[in-house]
Amino acid sequence: MNSETQQIAINPTRDDYRIAWLTALAITIHIVESALPSPLPGIKPGLANVITIVVLLMYGWPTAAWVGILRVIVGSLVIGTFLTPTFVLSLSGAVASITVLGIGSKLPGKGLGPVGYCLLASMAHMATQFSVAYLLFIPHDGLFKLLPVLMTASVIFGIVSGLIVNAIMDRLR
Amino acid sequence: MTRADYIVVIFALLLVPFLFTRYWQAPAQGETAEILIGSDKKIEVSLNKDQELNVEGPLGASVIRVHDGKVRFIDSPCRGKQCIHSGWLQHSGDFAACLPNRISVAVLGSKRRYDAINF
Amino acid sequence: MSRRHNGALHASRARGWQSFLHIVVICACMPLLLAACDNDESSLHKARLVAFGTLVDISTWGVNDDTAEQAIAAVEASFNDIDHTWHAWHPSTLTQMEARLAKGEEIELDADKIAFFKKARALSDASDQLFNPAIGKLIALWGFNQDDRPQGPPPEPDAIKALLALHPTMDDLIITDTTLKSSNPAVRLDFGGFAKGFAVDKAIEIMRAHGISNAIVNAGGDLRAIGNHGTRPWHIGIRHPKESGIIASVETGGDESVFTSGTYERFFEYQGVHYHHIIDPRSGYPAKNTLSVTVIHDDAATADAAATAMVVAGPEQWQKIAARMGITKVMLIDNNLTVYMTPAMAKRIHFEIDPPPKVIIGDAT
Repeated sequence: MNSETQQIAINPTRDDYRIAWLTALAITIHIVESALPSPLPGIKPGLANVITIVVLLMYGWPTAAWVGILRVIVGSLVIGTFLTPTFVLSLSGAVASITVLGIGSKLPGKGLGPVGYCLLASMAHMATQFSVAYLLFIPHDGLFKLLPVLMTASVIFGIVSGLIVNAIMDRLR
Repeated sequence: MTRADYIVVIFALLLVPFLFTRYWQAPAQGETAEILIGSDKKIEVSLNKDQELNVEGPLGASVIRVHDGKVRFIDSPCRGKQCIHSGWLQHSGDFAACLPNRISVAVLGSKRRYDAINF
Repeated sequence: MSRRHNGALHASRARGWQSFLHIVVICACMPLLLAACDNDESSLHKARLVAFGTLVDISTWGVNDDTAEQAIAAVEASFNDIDHTWHAWHPSTLTQMEARLAKGEEIELDADKIAFFKKARALSDASDQLFNPAIGKLIALWGFNQDDRPQGPPPEPDAIKALLALHPTMDDLIITDTTLKSSNPAVRLDFGGFAKGFAVDKAIEIMRAHGISNAIVNAGGDLRAIGNHGTRPWHIGIRHPKESGIIASVETGGDESVFTSGTYERFFEYQGVHYHHIIDPRSGYPAKNTLSVTVIHDDAATADAAATAMVVAGPEQWQKIAARMGITKVMLIDNNLTVYMTPAMAKRIHFEIDPPPKVIIGDAT
């Protein structure tokens, strides 16, 4: 029997365009950052994180979670590291930082600002990456010598990206 | 910046130095030996550099040699020479003493591993 | 650009810089905050002194340096006092006592000394006389009653037999609340396997009397540890009996003594044979088969005597002796480096060598 196929119209809103555009930007930054030489494995400016936090502040946590995860998955597919140890580290870091952001967004009162979110996300990301690296890949006690350096970097970049987000948000308003 | 922001920042800034003090114990990986003369005079000797020391005690000079990261008594003015028989000391906690001459040598090294050695 | 837009832009820039400035100020203040915090390691005080013919290492935690130093000075005095009283061969109160006891005299002693004798006798009985401080003559026969290493040769079998026949034990002593008498002239007292434990117990009492509840008193490797190192237990390393380095580690809890008796401590070699100082009172010869025994127990005097007794008991009989002496945590290492342990000890010991040794777990039956 012939039934009329119904057309389901998806009408993207302006926000949808924006989120898609931001996600693409996050992925691009992710890919560019992975090409940067870093003094130690694991130290990256984490600028893609800035996008995630901006999305969090503008569109809420669920959207930010999507952007964060998508960034890692699509980024790794493009670079070619999907399902490699690098990917596992990236993903675990992303999941941890998104989780922490979720908890942070539920705080009472004025809650956290850009700097707080960025710092928390950055530290959670680095700490989780370190733990996964230690537990799964390099269970060597000597690895702990790196931890203070890595966390210092995450704190610095966390604060810097927080200030960047601050600036972006002010411009977007 | 909200109040929660400041709390996070302060927490982060306290965490970092804590991590350094916790995980960056010995700046120099080499071990040191501690020579005790009597009950109070202490000399710390690096085991990284080969050397020979004459340490004066009440009976005379005990000769202590450092070689290849190890340390031992080479000569001592005591009768029993127990100190020399103790041989090369290498690991943290190893020690030898010339009790008559009131001189003892102990290897320190990564001293935080054990609070005391039983033997 | 409209003026309002300009103004908003300036305001946002100002807020951005404000945040940045705040963070810079906090960073600058951090060092002050940290300096105010008490560093964990400044609570630890360590001292080393020569006493009792050996090196004594004392650690305290949680008290200021003055208190620690006062307590340590008192401990040093106590060790020296006990050494002068109970030394087996240096002229001491004990050697004076023995001269009189050998003549059959009844001597008067103060309560402390009576307590010492009573405790030594109780431990000797509990160990089935395997810990026997009354065999001083046998020890002298082997040449271990002096500071220097004996040269050998070992004593004649007849001489050993003759001494064994006289059968000196702590039960030959008649101890009242104020007097002491010996009924066997063959008794000569050597408290080597006991006095150190006794001294360490006294040292811990002194620590407590000074208000110190976290400390380790380590007399030449045998120690008692009370309390903990701040937020973590005390970590004790047990030296390998044959090689250099640590064979196992233990974390102490509350109040525990860790005592090891080893056949490598005092010995001589003669014509390729190894003779050590832990004499089996039954055979008159150094105990066979065992390399070392480590005991964990609350009071040090018992731990000291028990470790000595179980070296004599050996891999066959240590469990029986452990049960009789009320010891639940024992580790015996035999000449093949096989480790025998009670289940309670197995829970506490963490081997630090790779590969770990062969372990046989046996209950104290």
